[in-house]
This record gives sequence, C-alpha cells and structure tokens, in this order.
Amino acid sequence: MNTVLIIDDSDINLTLIKALVLKLGECAPVLFDNPLRALDWCREHVPDLVIVDYMMPDMDGLKFISAFRALHGRNEIPVLMVTANDQKEVRYEALLGGANDFLTKPIDRVEFSARSRNMLSLRTGQKFLADRAAHLDALVSEQTQEIRNREQELIFRMSRAAEFRDPETGAHIQRMAYYSQIIAKGLGLDEKVLKLILEAAPMHDVGKIGIPDYILLKPGKLTFEEFEVMKGHAKLGHELLKGSGSETLRAGAEIAISHHEKYDGSGYPFGLVGTKIPLFGRIVAVADVFDALTSERPYKKSWPLAEACKFLEDGRGKHFDPMCVESFLAGWDDVLEIRQRFQDEEVPMI
Amino acid sequence: MTELFVFDRELILDRLGGDEEIVTMMIDLYLQDVERTARSLADAFAQGQADAFMREAHTIKGLLATFSDDAGAAKAFVIEQQAKTGEISGLQPAVAALQRRLYEVADVLRREMGSVR
Repeated sequence: MNTVLIIDDSDINLTLIKALVLKLGECAPVLFDNPLRALDWCREHVPDLVIVDYMMPDMDGLKFISAFRALHGRNEIPVLMVTANDQKEVRYEALLGGANDFLTKPIDRVEFSARSRNMLSLRTGQKFLADRAAHLDALVSEQTQEIRNREQELIFRMSRAAEFRDPETGAHIQRMAYYSQIIAKGLGLDEKVLKLILEAAPMHDVGKIGIPDYILLKPGKLTFEEFEVMKGHAKLGHELLKGSGSETLRAGAEIAISHHEKYDGSGYPFGLVGTKIPLFGRIVAVADVFDALTSERPYKKSWPLAEACKFLEDGRGKHFDPMCVESFLAGWDDVLEIRQRFQDEEVPMI
Repeated sequence: MTELFVFDRELILDRLGGDEEIVTMMIDLYLQDVERTARSLADAFAQGQADAFMREAHTIKGLLATFSDDAGAAKAFVIEQQAKTGEISGLQPAVAALQRRLYEVADVLRREMGSVR
C-alpha cells in the first residue's frame, strides 16, 4: 500500500485528487489543507508520493518542497506539484527546487494517473534498492564474520599444532589468552585491542615447530647450547607470522618475538628493556609464566596459586612490567573464573 | 459581454476519464462551497489583503477551470494578476462580476444535477 500525501488549501481539489488517488489502487491518501501541518506530519511519517499545490496560505508549494527535501531521508521521495497552466515559471522553479514532475489544472485523469503511476514506480524501485542494500549489508556482515571465525579457528589449531609436541595443552593456550585479555582490560585498552590480544596470544609459541624434538622434549635441564637453540623459537615464530595482511597474525608475530623479553633487559632474543618491549609482549609474559607455573606437567607439579602470585610480584620491574602484574592481580576473580572454565585434560606421560 | 456558462458534461467526463462518480462529487462540492467561496473573495477584498485576495482569485480560477468555464477563469485570472501588484483598490466591479459568475455556474450545475437525478 502506497501512502500518498496530498496538500491543497482547496477542499474541492483535495477531494478530487483523493478520488483520483483511490482510483489508482493500492494507495492510501493522506490529506492536508495546510502545508505547515503537512510538514509536521512528514517529520514522523514517510510518504511514497507527495502531491502539493503551488498557491497556499502560510507556505507555498515551492517552500513546502524545499522544507520537505530538507528533512532527513526525504530527499528521494517523489513530489508532484500542481500548478495552473499559466505558471510556466513556477513549474520550472518547482522542477529546479526538487519537484520530480508537475500536474496542470484543470486536472486531467489520464495525465494524473500516468504521472502518479510513474512516480509510484520510481518509489517502488527506491524501496527495493534500499531493501536490497540492507539485505546485502547483512549478507556481507555474515560472510565477514564467517571468514573471521574460520581465521580464528585456523590460528587456534595452528597454535595447538605448535604446542602438540610440547607437553602443553589446548587449555593452556586458551587460559593464557584470556589472562592476557584480563591484563589488557585492566590497562584500559579498548575493545578492539582486547579482541586482538585474545586472538593473537595463542600464537606466542608457534615457533616451537622449528625446535628439534631432542631439545623440545628433553625432560631434564637444557645445556647452554640446547637453550640457545630453544631460544630460537621466538624469532622462528616471528618469521612465520610477520608481514601478514591479517592484523591478528601481525600481532601474533610481535608476541612471538617479544614474550620472552624481560623488563630489566635480561630476556631474549634482543635484551630489550622496559617499555621498549612491545606492550603485547609484556602482557603475554605475565600470562604465560603464570599459567606455566600453575599447570601440572609431566616434569613438574603445579605451583600453589599464592606462590605463583608471589613469583609475579617479586618479578615486578625485573622479569615483568609492574603495571601488567598489577593489572593481572587486580583481575583475580576473572583469573579464577578462567581457570575454572578451561581445565587441563589428563596430561600424557612422556 | 461575457458569454454565458454552458456546462459541457462530455468534456468534463472525458477529462476525468469518464468517471461519472467523480463529476457528480465535484458538482456537489462546488454547490456546497459556492457561498463560502464568494464570501471569502469579498472579505479578502474588503480587508484590503492583497495576498489573501490574490489566493482567493487563484482558487476561483482553478475552480471554474475545473468545470471548463474558460470565461469565468479568465475573469479570475485578471483579478489575480492585478492583486499580485498589490494594488487592488479599483477592483470592486471585477469582484462583483466574478461573484455573479460563481452563482451563474452554480445555477447551471444545479439544473444539471436536477436533470440527472
């Protein structure tokens, strides 16, 4: 049903045009004999066609069209202006001022029907395109989300693959990722960054793929040379992930190469100091160490939570960025919830 | 001397797509409003309101054209154009003539309705 707004200060014209509109079929006429009241109505309603007389008290048809077009979302609505035959200049002005077409008086039904139907077809086309645009928007959003979900799943599985040869678990990756997010939130970082670190943190040890088994899986203490090889996993992870078109992978590259740096410069691979270490690296350092300490492994028991917290506190300014430690401890309730949510499966014996 | 108004039903019907219902409705409306229309013209003139007077003349022009009264519409047009200049003082005779025309058209339409019903 099309809504046709008719504005004319003459009752006989209003009645005539209304009758002609009803003859078009599928049209609901809305009548006003005052253009100001009609404009008020237009603020709350969107007509499909406007038929407006030129000469009216309070506001003539030209001014009405101008005011109507200025309303948000009304710029494309078809407008027919009704003028007398002798008002060529008025018609030109109307067309230049935003009217789509005009009707001359005395009104001829055939002309009225043809022009009105043309305008209503135009309006139907506009609504179809608007709906289609909205539908396509929704489709694109849905597809984009699907792609992002797949990307996330790939990242997670890749990270798990790296951890597979190491006696870590999938739950470790998820816990340390959420711990990282807790720290980031406590530091006041925005939603976009919180999402990014949650997605990128699992890739911190992806470089272990390049570490030989005899070193990676050695149960005892590594020799100096073996440890030097092991330290290579930071750069390897960076090499694997750097330069990607994906922001998440680039963040993963940064985390991979920096999460073993220490605040006092005694870390690796570059011995960076303080805030020269990328923030993500400083955050993941706290999250990863805490989870490693508080997890059961074939070669070690899990630490009590209080001891692990003390380790972090004692490491402030040395191993760890003090702000990151404070933020982690401030989110303790959330940390406990994460531990509860992501529990280790039974750890296989080497 | 202005020609007498003749109601050409076929012409009006043709213009309105053969719709008897609409023609009848419009005649009824004209007859209902003719007193008010004539009075509005006279009041606007008497009050010296050139803009309002111009709009009334314009409305009457359209009204008479609707019934294909070209002569009557022409009278209204002359008054409308004069009123546009803002100077309406000498228009009393034209106003009276236009009012007579309105009533003349009403009489013809009444007879038309009487013969149809």
